[in-house]
Amino acid sequence: MAAAQRRVVISGIGVLTSIGLDATSYWDSLMHGRSGIKPFQFFDVSTLPTRMAGQIPEFGAKNYVVKEQRKNLRVMARAIQLAVAAAQLALDDGNVDKARLDPTRFGVEFGAGLLPTELEEIGPASLASFHQDTGVVSERDWGEKGIEVIQPLWMLKYLPNMLACHVSILHNAQGPNNSITEGDVGGLLALGEAFRIIRRNQADFFLVGGADSKMNPLSQVRQALFGFQSRRNDAPEKACRPFDKQRDGLIIGEGASVLVVEELEHAIGRGAKIYAEVVGVGSAFGLKEKSATNLSGITRAARVAMQQGGIGVEDLDHVNAHGLGTQKGDALEARCLHELLGSARKAPPILALKGYIGNLGAGSGLTELAASVLALKHGQSPGTLNCEEPDVPSPLTVIQKPQPVTKPNVLKVGYNDLGQCAAVVVRKWQG
Amino acid sequence: MRRRVVITGMGAVTPLGLTVEELYRNQIAGKSGVGPITLFDASTFPTKFAAEVKNFDLGNYVPRPERWANSGANSSFALAAAHQAMNDAGVMDDIRIDRTRFGAYLGSGEGIQDFQHLVASVAHSYQPATDSVDTVRFTTVGLKAFNRDREYEQELHTTPGHLANLFDLEGPNYNCLTACAASSQALGEATELIRGGEADMMLSGGSHSMIHQFGVTGFNKLTALSTFNEAPQKASRPFDMKRDGFVLGEGSGMLILEELDHARKRGATIFAELTGYGSTADSFRITDSHPEGRGAIACIQGALDDAGLKAPNIGYINAHGTSTKVNDSVETLAIKKVFGDGAYKVPVSSSKSMLGHLIAAAGAVELITCVMAMRHGILPPTINYETPDPDCDLDYIPNKAREKRVDHILSNSFGFGGQNVSLIVSRFRD
Repeated sequence: MAAAQRRVVISGIGVLTSIGLDATSYWDSLMHGRSGIKPFQFFDVSTLPTRMAGQIPEFGAKNYVVKEQRKNLRVMARAIQLAVAAAQLALDDGNVDKARLDPTRFGVEFGAGLLPTELEEIGPASLASFHQDTGVVSERDWGEKGIEVIQPLWMLKYLPNMLACHVSILHNAQGPNNSITEGDVGGLLALGEAFRIIRRNQADFFLVGGADSKMNPLSQVRQALFGFQSRRNDAPEKACRPFDKQRDGLIIGEGASVLVVEELEHAIGRGAKIYAEVVGVGSAFGLKEKSATNLSGITRAARVAMQQGGIGVEDLDHVNAHGLGTQKGDALEARCLHELLGSARKAPPILALKGYIGNLGAGSGLTELAASVLALKHGQSPGTLNCEEPDVPSPLTVIQKPQPVTKPNVLKVGYNDLGQCAAVVVRKWQG
Repeated sequence: MRRRVVITGMGAVTPLGLTVEELYRNQIAGKSGVGPITLFDASTFPTKFAAEVKNFDLGNYVPRPERWANSGANSSFALAAAHQAMNDAGVMDDIRIDRTRFGAYLGSGEGIQDFQHLVASVAHSYQPATDSVDTVRFTTVGLKAFNRDREYEQELHTTPGHLANLFDLEGPNYNCLTACAASSQALGEATELIRGGEADMMLSGGSHSMIHQFGVTGFNKLTALSTFNEAPQKASRPFDMKRDGFVLGEGSGMLILEELDHARKRGATIFAELTGYGSTADSFRITDSHPEGRGAIACIQGALDDAGLKAPNIGYINAHGTSTKVNDSVETLAIKKVFGDGAYKVPVSSSKSMLGHLIAAAGAVELITCVMAMRHGILPPTINYETPDPDCDLDYIPNKAREKRVDHILSNSFGFGGQNVSLIVSRFRD
């Protein structure tokens, strides 16, 4: 007889975004329709076509780390600091007594992205190597004079596996540990992997997170070159408009989310308050226009997740979409969602949250999922900020203003431009 | 009954050869792939040598190589190795295969930064008096200097995206970057996806090149690289008393993992079975392994438990064996803790002595080496082994390959920051 399937629940939420420094204030902002997209303030971006972002200028990593550990913050890029802070918030929210955890059964999974160097760190080395007269950078000068003026731990400050590493060190997590580097779907896939590891009985407790911060000059130049951003600089709070007819591009946001994800009996055993159960996670590839028999990755990933959860489209309260805010991206996603939901008797409505906080990259999936988990807890779903004229094929609808939650299941989907898709189904914990 | 996962195809692009056969033959011959760095002018860098891939031409593997002109070596090497693996498994054009059940899980590294333009842009805008950057200057110069596509190709999800697109892999798609453990972790988690029924086939492995200005700089600053510039081919000397750091390598290893019945039904050649996977974290320091190897011990044990094996079943260990002081002694300690006295009876060797350290791609290329060793009955040596270290007193197959038929091989990959992965690959038995 097969062993009963282990079940996976969410029992703590830590969120850091431009609209709140914890889950409570995040939720409050969502319910009050507050946008965190503001004119860019970290440094002068007047030369760039997009001069706004979802920023957290008041973020101070020191506040989240005990005194003895603060020196480690110096070797963490900002995204890593955000991840570490969100992990502490999650542990606090989850009322976790680490002394009672078995470290070998405590894992860490993070979605992470490319972390470019802060430019000052290579400032002196660059000056030492650049020849004004020829406009050429001399590798010989870099080797001779540049390398010695770079700090020893420079590389470690920017490695994408360091989000999961630092969190595991700070909290003595000796179990499975991974860093998923799949752009905007990294966080959701990290959750998927934690889900599978718990179910196959190789861990009982996880911190699952995702974080990103592109608030540095090199990232800002790159984003400008990629050309996907909105140019509505005169009205930042209205600039990111998922599924709206007047949308003109995405907005970048910084932030992090970490969830406490644990095996059900383990959670009950420590008296945890359980928000929701993770009932299914799917991953698939492909967003190309498909024929009727060849379904998109979003549909296939969603179906895997729903099948694992034993539910159908009609059982979903809403679909928490990726909703980038670009003309092409949203149109493509809407078509995929139509493929998934369109034939339902009453299709669940679509929710998209990037209007509030921007695209958090590897931090987006879990930050947006957290909103739906909080929605299940509070019995209310937020609205899709800035979606004033929904541009989705009938019979699909978009939740525009906060409304009651009427069903216990939510589907969260994400995708990235190359075609990687992820889907997670969570169910309200009924006790 | 747990679904079984077998290896039905392999491909490799490495410093010791552009095919799996070359990679293996050269290791058995004890050849070194190390030489002076040619990819950039490293003449004044603390470390001036590495194990570079030689004579690589992407055009030999894909129809329009110019399409990938802005991609880094991480993607080009991956495309070539994956192409080989797909052909090796006979699945490139097999229309019977359900592509929605065929995914990709890679441990692929980042692309290559534009050193010239980035350093020039910083030089134009850095103000030493205030240790700050004039961002107006930087952004103005940068917008003109950087190439949009080249910058985009540095994003970490591009390699698995390109492979899935090119080879029509519509199943689960993942990429991880746990440093030196990445491609081993990818292989382990890909195995679990098949075991769990989410896929029937997975393209898995890794690709990486950190042989560039920032990569060598970064590792040199950490004093992680050997600086034995006088004799580069002797620099990578795992377990030897005089070891002084690792040697950077580059390349890609790709494998086709497949559910057993699926492989049998289509008459696939089965090279080996992936039977064990263990994953732990040291949770100690970002710069050093745990001194007692607690993470490594747990991960090796985890792989054994997963495979349903005991230490005496292991006929050969392909070590992480980076040639750093710390890794090699800690890994030796961990092997002794798990194997007990048996540690002295199981041969251990490090492919890194010949290939250098392929970072994210290391695990996959080393696993391919293990499969070949098992199939051909000859274990690769640890070369450059001259002076024994009392802390490292196991049988490291010094300098000469050894004939030995083995049924189970353990492969270790211990990443920077303390992520540990062990894989066990076994002779396939019905």
